Amino acid sequence: MNPRALAVWVAAVLLLSLGSEDPVYRVLTLGAAVVVLAVRRRHEVRLRPALLAVGAAAALTILFNFLLSHTGQNIVVALPGWLPALGGPLTVEGAVYGFDIALGLAACIVAGITLSLVAEPHQLVDSLPAALSRTGAAVGASLTLVPRLGHSFVAVREAQQMRGWRPRGLRSWTAVLVPSVLTTIEGSVLMAEAMEARAFGSGPRSALATSTWRPSDLLTASAAGGAIVAFVLALVLGQIPSWQPYPTLLLPALNWWPAACCLALFAPVLARG
Amino acid sequence: MAELARFEEFGYRYPEAADAALRAISFELAGGVTLIGGPSGSGKTTLLRSLNGLVPHFHGGQAWGRASILGADLRTTSTRLLARAVSMVFQEPESQFVLATVRREVAFGPENLGLPPLEIAQRVDCSLETIGIPELAERRIATLSGGQRQRVALAAALAMRPRLLLLDEPTSQLDDSGADSLRLACQGLAAQGLAVVIAEHRPWRVDMPGCHQLELEQGSLASPRVHRSGPPALPARRGLATGAVVWELNDLAVGHAEPVGTGIYLAGREGEVVCLTGPNGSGKTTLLRTTAGLLRPLSGALFRRPGRCAYLPQEPGGILHQATLLDEVRQTIRWLQLDCQPGPILEEFELSSLADSDPRDLSTGQRQRAALAAVLVGRPEMVFLDEPTRGADPNSRALLLKVLDRLTAQGSAVLVATSDTQFAHQIGDRVMELAGGHLRESSEQAA
Repeated sequence: MNPRALAVWVAAVLLLSLGSEDPVYRVLTLGAAVVVLAVRRRHEVRLRPALLAVGAAAALTILFNFLLSHTGQNIVVALPGWLPALGGPLTVEGAVYGFDIALGLAACIVAGITLSLVAEPHQLVDSLPAALSRTGAAVGASLTLVPRLGHSFVAVREAQQMRGWRPRGLRSWTAVLVPSVLTTIEGSVLMAEAMEARAFGSGPRSALATSTWRPSDLLTASAAGGAIVAFVLALVLGQIPSWQPYPTLLLPALNWWPAACCLALFAPVLARG
Repeated sequence: MAELARFEEFGYRYPEAADAALRAISFELAGGVTLIGGPSGSGKTTLLRSLNGLVPHFHGGQAWGRASILGADLRTTSTRLLARAVSMVFQEPESQFVLATVRREVAFGPENLGLPPLEIAQRVDCSLETIGIPELAERRIATLSGGQRQRVALAAALAMRPRLLLLDEPTSQLDDSGADSLRLACQGLAAQGLAVVIAEHRPWRVDMPGCHQLELEQGSLASPRVHRSGPPALPARRGLATGAVVWELNDLAVGHAEPVGTGIYLAGREGEVVCLTGPNGSGKTTLLRTTAGLLRPLSGALFRRPGRCAYLPQEPGGILHQATLLDEVRQTIRWLQLDCQPGPILEEFELSSLADSDPRDLSTGQRQRAALAAVLVGRPEMVFLDEPTRGADPNSRALLLKVLDRLTAQGSAVLVATSDTQFAHQIGDRVMELAGGHLRESSEQAA
């Protein structure tokens, strides 16, 4: 998939998930992001760890908003006021708004990781203008650190288990986490050293290949670009109804215009191949 | 022949280090191949780093004396400028990779030189061909074995068409064919007037006629030792273990998703050392990890007697995380609730003087010994070692042999995966070769 087409699609997902607080559009946007990631990811990429991380971030968001907002009419439980930050009423509206924020956050994170799990780092580097090629190479290199950390974590956990380590409470994980992080940091320093020793930054870079556009990429970029333009127009013309769960919880309204923009985000799935 | 490098009374100390890593080094490099010898921690890697400016420019610290590389003053010329003519392959090549696929990784250096795409493509193909891995061009680096990664790093260095090529332990994970390709490539480069400097614990693997020698001892140049045409003689084992079977593989298929080995029958007995050899990427690590219980077999039966397994991974540095080496060994004793002291194993690996050092400050060879000490302390019933001689000098190999002798005398069953066939034949009661997905007795041993 052409990284520039993918970048337009990511921009559309970010705009649609942040441009309205209506949970219906956020659900559609998140759905599109997850489906596109699942269908267009590189074949060796495992989705489970990424989705677990997104799920954990979303769950924490809901929990924090539920515990800290203290706003709304439908009280689930009231905590004593002497509890710092937590004291006060915990409401259904707080949980619903937390869920809404989590939907937007999850859509943004999934869109971001789609960029790195669908396109190769070198494709991203190739797609940047020449003036940004050095920055791009550095960013491309940094993208390899996440899988390195994962690899290092698995290798260290195995080796420590064979030395008798067993997970017993949070503190025990330091025996795995500390060497994993240290190894990754050490690896980053070695990579920086190797990049220096391979003439990185010694002059203008060139590229072995440049990114090409296929009809499916054009369709993706057109659909995502069209969704951006249409959504901005809808915002300007007041076609996107506002929604807030406070003070009274109401069902969100549905307008076909922004909904169509969200559906356009499924284009990379249809344009596959 | 034009002078490529000149060092006069050059010295260097790493930041916060008490002692100098290099002391009053003086030498000249013209073309040809130069081998740097010396024990682990003697300064070989630091000397290579100083030949492309990483020392002092990248690492900081204090340098003194005079050094010039290709006519440029080392202390005022940056590494990235020197890198246009000087290439280096690092001791841990897996850490130097920037991009995800082999072709793009090899192209990274020429891209930094701003070459036209057609020339980059030619250089990539040519260097992959020279190192003998054209079939890996489209593979993802994450899927390669340690030896294959080392070859990719070599190809990436050659693609820069350097005037000076620096290789740090380039054959530590290479099979014999890979080492031969490397030697031929170095010979070819030397014939073109290039200089190749190789730090290598097994000099006979890259030795060639007309090769120069430098020997380092504690950061100073010493008289070159005459290197032999093979490994130092160690007493070969060749016992015929008759102890009880400790682990056994019956019609096993191993691999991650696709099998890399099928129809595998093998057993390890008390007091026996079994070595697994085979070409890079043949599946040695996968078979070792499966036998150790870290990977599930794809099919077949695996028996392993209950008992402690000691396991050394291929990248052992990752398990070291304590503040001192002594604490690192104590950690294993505590976790496994062993009834022993850390002193003896540190002594066995000649690490007593480094007991209070941070394991991550040690040289690669010393770190390997530290990791071995941390996993082999006590009396493990089963021992699984993945490339235990990586970065090991001859003395470290001899120490490991002694420790394995003690362990087998105490009844341990040892399985070693190694691309170091000479070491395998020295230590192995049985040497098995995994090639083309099948395991058979090594022809050398069978003969």
